[in-house]
Amino acid sequence: ADAADAAKSSWADQVEEEETVNGDLPPLSQSVVGDIKTVVEYKYNEDDKKVKVVRKYRIETQKTSKSVAHRKLLKKFGKSSNDLSGPNRATTIISEDVQMQFVSTREEEMMQEQEDPTLSKFKHQLQYYMFFKNFKATAPKDKTTEEERKPEEENASNAPSKYVPPSMRSGGNTVGSSMPSGRGNRDEQATIRVTNLSEETKESDLQELFKPFGPLQRIYLAKDKHTQQSKGFAFINFYNRDDAAKAIKSVCGFGYDHLILNVEWAKPSTPS
Amino acid sequence: MRPLMLQGHERAITQIRYNREGDLLFTVAKDATPNVWYTINGERLGTYDGHRGTVWSVDVNWDSTKVLTGAADLSCKLWDCETGKVINTWDTKSSVRSSNFSYCGNMINFTTDRQMKHEPKICIYDIREPSDSEPALSFVIDTKEMSKPMCSLWGALNEYLITGHDDGTMAHWDLKVGGELLHSVREHTALIKDMQLSSDQMMLITASKDKTAKLFDAPSLNLMKTYKTDRPVNSAAISPIRDHVVLGGGQEAMDVTTSNLKEGKFDARFFHLVFEEEFGRVKGHFGPINSLAFHPNGNSYSSGGEDGFVRVHQFDESYFDFQFEC
Repeated sequence: ADAADAAKSSWADQVEEEETVNGDLPPLSQSVVGDIKTVVEYKYNEDDKKVKVVRKYRIETQKTSKSVAHRKLLKKFGKSSNDLSGPNRATTIISEDVQMQFVSTREEEMMQEQEDPTLSKFKHQLQYYMFFKNFKATAPKDKTTEEERKPEEENASNAPSKYVPPSMRSGGNTVGSSMPSGRGNRDEQATIRVTNLSEETKESDLQELFKPFGPLQRIYLAKDKHTQQSKGFAFINFYNRDDAAKAIKSVCGFGYDHLILNVEWAKPSTPS
Repeated sequence: MRPLMLQGHERAITQIRYNREGDLLFTVAKDATPNVWYTINGERLGTYDGHRGTVWSVDVNWDSTKVLTGAADLSCKLWDCETGKVINTWDTKSSVRSSNFSYCGNMINFTTDRQMKHEPKICIYDIREPSDSEPALSFVIDTKEMSKPMCSLWGALNEYLITGHDDGTMAHWDLKVGGELLHSVREHTALIKDMQLSSDQMMLITASKDKTAKLFDAPSLNLMKTYKTDRPVNSAAISPIRDHVVLGGGQEAMDVTTSNLKEGKFDARFFHLVFEEEFGRVKGHFGPINSLAFHPNGNSYSSGGEDGFVRVHQFDESYFDFQFEC
């Protein structure tokens, strides 16, 4: 393993390096340098080639009560009696990132009821107003005025601020006709890519930034494994493609944390 | 959060339980091997080998020296927590459905099913007595008057036992005089799958197949709160630090193949304890959640599902930052 890999590895992200090695299979060896434990294992892969597997773990030290510390040093027993110290990859897996979705039952109830059109229009305007009130100071001037005009146009066609099932949408196709994204590809993912983010950006910041456009499904912020700092780009999944389109129009070119954001569709899915 | 997936069981998880400090997590499943894990990194400490059938319940005493399991192989076993060796086995006439240590750890109770013409039985043993001694107390539940118990808990000061039954009834049994029914309430309309006490033991939450979880005052069994969902609830737990409860469930395993995956609704659902309103969901399981538990420090929770996985979730900041708006 080279030095760059060593710096990135942690016990949570096992770095597997496979390289062919000549000679007989040496036994499994462990070495601890500082807080990094290195486990080197040799085995045959599917093509009958010898491979060297290097796994690196970061050792963390925690202060606990004596009884807990005593139990941490217990000898493994039963089916785990042959396991080495540290998690066995056969039984312990670090799974995909999941996030708690915050839901409001009241919002859901309101969604089910047919919303009063004037009320939803008003709410929509209010959302825009609140959003731009916060950012007016930093946003480029001409952009702001342009964006302020936009929502009014959309409101004229009564775009709903929340997700409404297609069967319940009043007006059907006319709702999104002013949007650049075609109504036909509603099935495609409403995912946008945000780049040129600053290193200090957190997921909560992004949530705050994009929430006004509509309900978010998922936020993925690329982070450095080692430092947990942002890598400067993120993916935002909206429930609604229209919301995503709105977000792109509004936030692209936006000054955020002394950098100018670049926002686009995650995949070049819309030809126009 | 990136949950740890513990993959030590071959079949559906039946119950999971933390020890008092929360450094160990005990899991039992429909396979015959209870597992114990370090919660800090998901490392498996060991397995308790010896049962020959579905293990329905597990409990650990307060100083984490002994483990109690109740199984469908007509036995209840007491294990040495640290070595995995059997200390004692109690043979029963029908399968053991629930088993618990008392708060002091000196007494155990287990309840048996109604099977093979045997009526359900509640047994209490003093584990300080020699292993072959008679139960300190045992009594049979007459199924003409009351259905079989599905779960049980020790009441305050070991004075009474709380049971949750097949028909939704909950009962208090006096342990001082000898198995007398003190009182019973029937707030649920279907089977009670799980009961868990709050950290101060004053409240208990039930999970029922009637699609609700209910919060009771443990000493009086007065109904305090109801948490409604659209699916059978298999397990519910009360947060030790915040006014939150978590509910786990989902449609029954036998119905899964007949419906859309998205409608499976296997996520853990977080409700506000007082306002009875749902505020958060966590996805992850491929099948219904069968058992849930909060870490005693309230910073993480675990769930065991019909899919055979146990997932250990460490809450991230957004959970602690969350303020309930009412």
